[in-house]
Amino acid sequence: MVDESTRKTLSSIPLLQTKAGPRDKELWVNRLKEEYQALIKYVQNNKAADNDWFRLESDKTGTKWFGKCWYVHNLLKYEFDLEFDIPITYPTTAPELALPGLDGKTAKMYRGGKICLTDHFKPLWARNVPKFGIAHAMALGLGPWLAVEIPDLIEKGAITYQEKTEEAK
Amino acid sequence: MKVITDTILKVRRSIMAPSTDWDEIKRLAADFQKAQLSSTSQRLSERNCIEIVTKLIELKLLDVIFTTDGKEYLTSQQLVKEIRDELYVHGGRINTVDLAKELNVDLNQINTSVSEIIKGKEVQLVSGYLIASYYLEKIAREINEKLQLQGQITVGELTLQYDLPADLLQHSVLEKYLGKIIIGKQDASEPRTFYTEEYITRTKAKIKGALTGLLKPTPVTVIVNHCNMAERLFMMLFDQLCAPGVLTGRQAGALYVPSCYTKSQNDWVVNFFKQNNYLEYDAISRLGISDPKGYVKRTLTNKDLTFLSTCVIGSQIKQHLETALEECISSKSYLDVVSLLPSVLSSTDIENILESLLKNNTKSTILFDNTVFSNNYIEQLKQNCLPMVQKKAENIVKSGQYQQFHLERQISRSAEMTQHSHVDHKAERREERRRKAASGKGGGGTQGRETKTKAVKKHQRSKQIANDSDSDESSNVIKKTQAELEIVSVDDVENKIRVTLENEGLDDLVTQVAEFLQKSLNQTALEIAKVTAEKLLQDASQNRKQTHTTAQDKINILVNDIKLFEKGLKLLPPDQQSNFIKYLLKSLGGDVLAEFCKYAANQCNLSLQVDTLTVEQRNKIIHDLSDEYKKPLSALNAVLSEQNIESFYVAVDASLAVCGMILKKVDKKKDKLLIQNHREKLISELENCDDPALSLHIAVLAIFTIVTQNMLHASGRLVPAITLYLKSHVKEEQFQQLQTCQELVTKYLTAADEQKTELEEKLRNTLPILKEMVQEIKKQK
Repeated sequence: MVDESTRKTLSSIPLLQTKAGPRDKELWVNRLKEEYQALIKYVQNNKAADNDWFRLESDKTGTKWFGKCWYVHNLLKYEFDLEFDIPITYPTTAPELALPGLDGKTAKMYRGGKICLTDHFKPLWARNVPKFGIAHAMALGLGPWLAVEIPDLIEKGAITYQEKTEEAK
Repeated sequence: MKVITDTILKVRRSIMAPSTDWDEIKRLAADFQKAQLSSTSQRLSERNCIEIVTKLIELKLLDVIFTTDGKEYLTSQQLVKEIRDELYVHGGRINTVDLAKELNVDLNQINTSVSEIIKGKEVQLVSGYLIASYYLEKIAREINEKLQLQGQITVGELTLQYDLPADLLQHSVLEKYLGKIIIGKQDASEPRTFYTEEYITRTKAKIKGALTGLLKPTPVTVIVNHCNMAERLFMMLFDQLCAPGVLTGRQAGALYVPSCYTKSQNDWVVNFFKQNNYLEYDAISRLGISDPKGYVKRTLTNKDLTFLSTCVIGSQIKQHLETALEECISSKSYLDVVSLLPSVLSSTDIENILESLLKNNTKSTILFDNTVFSNNYIEQLKQNCLPMVQKKAENIVKSGQYQQFHLERQISRSAEMTQHSHVDHKAERREERRRKAASGKGGGGTQGRETKTKAVKKHQRSKQIANDSDSDESSNVIKKTQAELEIVSVDDVENKIRVTLENEGLDDLVTQVAEFLQKSLNQTALEIAKVTAEKLLQDASQNRKQTHTTAQDKINILVNDIKLFEKGLKLLPPDQQSNFIKYLLKSLGGDVLAEFCKYAANQCNLSLQVDTLTVEQRNKIIHDLSDEYKKPLSALNAVLSEQNIESFYVAVDASLAVCGMILKKVDKKKDKLLIQNHREKLISELENCDDPALSLHIAVLAIFTIVTQNMLHASGRLVPAITLYLKSHVKEEQFQQLQTCQELVTKYLTAADEQKTELEEKLRNTLPILKEMVQEIKKQK
């Protein structure tokens, strides 16, 4: 199950209503609107809770998303690139989030840096179609994955702290 | 950032055409970016805050207290304020521990603050409780309400109710507000109890009611329980009441005795005594008086009382008894004390009374059980028994038991004497020696080793005394016979007096009286017996003298007769003499022997019941005689069966010698007279005789005497021989007559019954002839 804090965050993200993929012209717009609204809310929440952990933007059609995400461990901030596409069958299929920078560094990852989501993510998503959107996928999928994998990877020495990221910020 | 906004604008422009929706999307995307780029609010996490504050406190830059969960900080002033608030909220009383919980502050902090708070007079800390003065006031008010309700209140009760120390309640609440808020009174003797005035009055009334209602002594505890009040209060109030009674004490087990009860007790005792003139202790103690004797003494003063083991009797009863006793003595009757005394008296009491009563009258009265007999009455009873006693005594003497008993006693005594004489002798000698040694010591005879030998003697004597006393008190006949002969038994006396006593209803005393009488009666009987025995002894000795002479005379006469008869018999033909001698010895010789036997028996103290002795009796006596008599007499007895008259004389002489007798010389003149007498006797006998055979016998003997001037002793069988002898001396016809007469007699004696009457008739006819013939022959001579 999802831990308590995740659940809490999840509940504060507004749910979506429109069930439409990129192919549904009009409805996709609606869907996209809702996606943005949800994301805005989620980001606002995160900021309010002093828990801001990603930057995200999309192309103009809203089918390709990219950005950055980071994790603070031992007072050091580790930053990673983030990208994903909206699948055709969205929202029935969940978007496959990918961290290309970590490709090949961990077993919990598919080719191309797509993260392996936990077992319960998929059924949870399936149950909540079309209520869950990108914001939910971030909070439910990537957030917990980072929390688990990054400290492990740091410990293994797979990733090292880079001064550069500090500069970028 | 600028670049981004530019691109957004570009996008917005290019998509403007298809629809406005995309514009909106763009706008949203822009907003999204804005949102993302807006600065994150810089928040300190709690952890950081805590760290910072701790640091500050460490540096003493900040003086705060933190709550137990560590989430809140407060200053000490705030804490004091909060504590005060809490105290107020809780009505003026709160536990510090509760405070710590309530305020979420460490107890130590609370305590330090509390110590600050109680510096002021308003609040105090009592056993972990913060207590404000207004709380105490509130309690005082509550207590007052309770007091008014219950009438009485104790600190103990309150301590339980308020869970406060008694001291605090006592001093800071009750005493402080007494008269202000609490309206009541403090118990003077028990400062922990408070009453209302009303309650006191009420209780008093209650007690008074209870006490007035009581009729019998009641333990105070019962009263107290019943009235539902403290015993102490009862005691305190009791003094203030004028109760109709008294308390036996002030302790817990005290008893309340109503005066009406005491009064009725007194009344009962006085009345009972007045009525019955006695008082039983039991009855008095049943009334609840513990010391009956003392009580009676106190109650019945100036009365002449006699205290006995179970009761008290008054003078009246005693007087009554005395008069009854006097009357009894004067009227020679008896007095059943029990009927005159109250039935409650025990036997010992009765005895005691009688003892004192009879002190003056012991001489005239005798006491059995509880019945007083005048001596006269007893004497009367005794008189009744005297004839019986006399008879018994005589009987016992006559039967020889008395003499035998004395004889036995003498024998045993003599045996004892011989047994002890040796010892006594020795002891005496020893004593003498001792006396010499310890001269001047006088009476110290029972000291030292010599006592042993003396003790034997003493012991013997004491034993005898003991025996005597034994026999006095017990009816053991065996023992008694050792000391004294029991002539009159208790049973005898009982039988004699039973009827008299039963008529008076005194059957239960029969045995006692009988035992009493028996002693004296037996004594009397013994005396009588003694006198009788002595008299008997005297008589016997006199008799013996007499018998000696009479026996001598008799034997003289008999021997003389025998000699005379012998003379007569010698006239007969010698061949027939032996028969005559034989008969003579058998009859007269037997008589002589019998006389000897009688005399000898008398001398040997053998009893003789009859005058004439049969042959067997004679033999028996001879057998029983002492040796000196036995020998000559048995010789004489032997001679009798021989037909030798000379040896008979010899034997008679021997016997006479033993008996101290002599044969008197034969007087010829006297002999003649004797013969004449014998003849006259025969003739007169013949005159009076009716029996033919006997007549013939006598006639023949008479004729023989007349003819020969000699006596003849013959049996009927010898008649023919005599007749034959007479033939030559009488006339022929006379002889014929005798002959026929004799034949008739012989026939008659041998005849059968049917012929007897005929023969008797004939014989009767011959009788006058016989008599005439005898007269005739006499005249001829």
